[in-house]
Amino acid sequence: MSTGLLSGEARVEAAPRFPRKRKGISGRSIAILVFLSICAAFFCVPLYVIVTTSFKTMEQIREGAIFSLPSPITFEPWVNAWDHACSGIRCEGLKVGFWNSVAILFPSLVLSMTLSSVTGYALALWHVRWAGTFLFILFICAFVPFQIIMIPLIILSSGLKVYGTIWGIAIIHAVLSMPFLTLVFRNYYKGIPQEIMSAAMMDSGSFWRVFGEIILPMSGNIFIVVLILQVTSIWNDFLLGLTFGGLGTQPMSVVLANVVITTTGEAAYNENMAAALLTAIPPLVIYFILGKFFVQGITAGAIKG
Amino acid sequence: MPRVTFEDIIKSYGKLTVLKNLDLAIDDGEFLVLLGPSGCGKTTLLNLLAGLLDVTAGRITIGDRDVTDLDPKDRGLAMVFQSYALYPTKTVRGNLKFGLAAHKLPAAEIEQRIAWAARLLQIEPLLDRKPAQLSGGQRQRVAIGRALVKKVGVFLFDEPLSNLDAKLRTEMRLEIKKLHDELKSTIVYVTHDQIEAMTMATRIAVMDAGVIQQFGSPDEIYGRPANLFVAGFIGSPAMNLRPATLSVAGGKVAARAAGVDLDVSRYGFVSPPQDGQSVVVGLRPEHFGEPDAAVTDPAGNFSLPVQYSEKTGSDATAYLKFGDGLIATRVDPEQIGRFRQGDTVNISFPQGKLHVFDAQSGRRL
Amino acid sequence: MAFRWSRMSPQLALTPAVAITLVAFIGSILWTIYVSFTSSKAFATYGIDFTDWARQYERLFKDKGWTIALKNMLVLGIGSFLAIVFGFILAALIDREKRGEGFFRTVFLYPLAVSLIVTGVAWRWMFNPSFGLQGALHSIGLTFISFDWLSKPETAMYGIILASVWQGAGFYMALMLSGLKSINTEIWSAARLDGVSFWRLYAEIIIPMMKFTFLTCAILLSLGVVKAYDIVVAMTNGGPGQATWVPGYFTINAYWVKSNLAYASAAAALMLGITALIFLPLVLLTAWRERARTS
Repeated sequence: MSTGLLSGEARVEAAPRFPRKRKGISGRSIAILVFLSICAAFFCVPLYVIVTTSFKTMEQIREGAIFSLPSPITFEPWVNAWDHACSGIRCEGLKVGFWNSVAILFPSLVLSMTLSSVTGYALALWHVRWAGTFLFILFICAFVPFQIIMIPLIILSSGLKVYGTIWGIAIIHAVLSMPFLTLVFRNYYKGIPQEIMSAAMMDSGSFWRVFGEIILPMSGNIFIVVLILQVTSIWNDFLLGLTFGGLGTQPMSVVLANVVITTTGEAAYNENMAAALLTAIPPLVIYFILGKFFVQGITAGAIKG
Repeated sequence: MPRVTFEDIIKSYGKLTVLKNLDLAIDDGEFLVLLGPSGCGKTTLLNLLAGLLDVTAGRITIGDRDVTDLDPKDRGLAMVFQSYALYPTKTVRGNLKFGLAAHKLPAAEIEQRIAWAARLLQIEPLLDRKPAQLSGGQRQRVAIGRALVKKVGVFLFDEPLSNLDAKLRTEMRLEIKKLHDELKSTIVYVTHDQIEAMTMATRIAVMDAGVIQQFGSPDEIYGRPANLFVAGFIGSPAMNLRPATLSVAGGKVAARAAGVDLDVSRYGFVSPPQDGQSVVVGLRPEHFGEPDAAVTDPAGNFSLPVQYSEKTGSDATAYLKFGDGLIATRVDPEQIGRFRQGDTVNISFPQGKLHVFDAQSGRRL
Repeated sequence: MAFRWSRMSPQLALTPAVAITLVAFIGSILWTIYVSFTSSKAFATYGIDFTDWARQYERLFKDKGWTIALKNMLVLGIGSFLAIVFGFILAALIDREKRGEGFFRTVFLYPLAVSLIVTGVAWRWMFNPSFGLQGALHSIGLTFISFDWLSKPETAMYGIILASVWQGAGFYMALMLSGLKSINTEIWSAARLDGVSFWRLYAEIIIPMMKFTFLTCAILLSLGVVKAYDIVVAMTNGGPGQATWVPGYFTINAYWVKSNLAYASAAAALMLGITALIFLPLVLLTAWRERARTS
């Protein structure tokens, strides 16, 4: 017997004859969530500790209760860290490093993203006979330890009179990130349907025009991911800044390391923590706002092979 | 004066040769269809013509220019792709405009051509939309429009209708044919669909395994297939191909297959038939006579049991057991009642509609 | 074949990348290896004494600091492996439970957004004998727990390992998570129908299916361990004494402090060699897979 309903007829709800008990949350789920929460706490502990310490007075710190909340709260460590902290003989605070890092970021981003995107585009979408070999070499270059190329790069950059300058550090960042970023771009561009390139070859055939008018507008997503990767990597870098930074051009992490390590007498722990936080806040903010792209960047990078 | 020629084309990928010594001359204004199953090399040939692939050896000319070494944009061609390949970040107008990117025309001329193409293809209201906002059929038209604005003499189509539903496909077939009549340009069209080929082409090049099996008009291809491959590929339902042996005796030639003698005495053999020669006879399903109907001067009479039958509303096909295989015969749907499973029917095959092929080479005898 | 612009223009566009690769990478590597055979001190000298071409390497093998560095690198590697295990457990649990995935992922990954120097500074503070974790524990009577690992040579590396695991577990968790997600959901359904137990499912089915992900993580981890520098500087600056020297630290020290180009180059060359060794299984595996695929 077919039971088609004519439109307009309402179905009368009958009380269910075999009601089922609502299943609650299983014991196993609770166990997992508890375990994960404990791990999450473990992950948050260092952050909590730095934050609280940075707002404490030195007297309270000497009491040794690392987990206690600051009372009274003081902003002095922050101000001192920013303005007066001593890195070596200079006591101009983290702000010097902050502005240096910012100054390094912009040219470095422009250079690295332009270079890598064009290179990735050429290798992915155009017919270059030696592309396979070159990609393999790039893959290797992405993993060589910095120390093996450090000295020649220092010599080269002195020769080019950019050693110790902001531009010098920026250029080095662009150069060193080129292999990895090129691979990321190349993999992304490989995903563009071949027929679109075929059509573009028939319509225009121009390398730059197709890049500018067709490919670049389609690259929004990957550019955000690469931007985040690069900003985080450059901001958090230490070794390159240490090697290529001169007095007055050191990025923030180098200044931080100097402040924390090279103090004589009793260390101003609260200032050190404030200094660390100052250095950590910019990339953390990016992380919390644009976290989705962050994750994309990580998995994109590692699962390229 | 041929518009497009392929001379001795060889295309290999390492050890794999996809096209072997292929020659083809396409006339001006012709609608040439490259027809064949997947992997036969038809798309490769099209891409070679477009310049998207390079020949391993051979020469390609368009008009009177040798284009073998020219970039795609310099060959004076336009192409419509299977997946339309519209630029997703550009509007329809932007897509059409980019079609002229290599042509360096003044802005006024560009606008004029866009307007003309939009009018011709009835996509004027869509000019400011992006591809994602268009239906499949609309994208099709924009892809064609992008090719049209170039105002070139040769258009290439790469299976443009395979992504459309059946109804749209029929409509677009007519539209493309109409365009061809209006513009009188040369078209090279790749498809695996024989209906498209038969309805649209002026000439068809049937391809298999990198070799052109037959090159001729649709009637020729259909009526006189040059080999077993073409015979079996064209026609739906497919031509019945049955192995047989020739017997030449007393001025009469017969092809004997599964106990049935077919009189092929008046068949136009290319070379004299040999007694005992192994052949394959081809019988198109639609040429069988009606059951129990008298056919004057038949080539052969069959009395066969019905295995099963198919009805599709407008057509019907019955499958009869013959030897160790089946023979398909077209049936008037009204008559399908006479073809119940297990029934034995008597049908005849007329003279003049047989095809005989050499069993070894597959070539038409 | 005639000149085709469509062949030239991409190659022209690639010249900067090629130039950089040749000069900054290949050329530099070759230069450094070459110099490691010379006796350059503060400046490069290019003469090689062929009777004694390996003297820098001999010195290295006799150098206590280098031996310690190598040992520490191995210790760090093995210890950091915990990060992969931990990351896998976290990923498996998150994948299993599904609730709160976004929240937990955010929490476990945030250390990656932070500089290793910051991480080092934070953990160094936690390891402070008087005012850090140990101080807090002692003040509530748990005086038997010692958490001043950084001040003792035997335990300093463990402190660095702990900080590394904290920093890196989230990364491996993210990789594992995407590896887990790529496992066909039908496998889980089949396992439920078969009644396979939790442990067996993971041990016999899931983990073998994640082989490639594990290998990738292991290789990335190893490469990171070879390059370890920042965290050592921030936490212990190599101390106490030379107890936490690692190869990267050794090399930098040889250049800046000892002002010995050739010596530093030799150490760097060995670092490269170790990196190549780590790469070997991956290259072999990829080549083997390619051959299996095309045959």
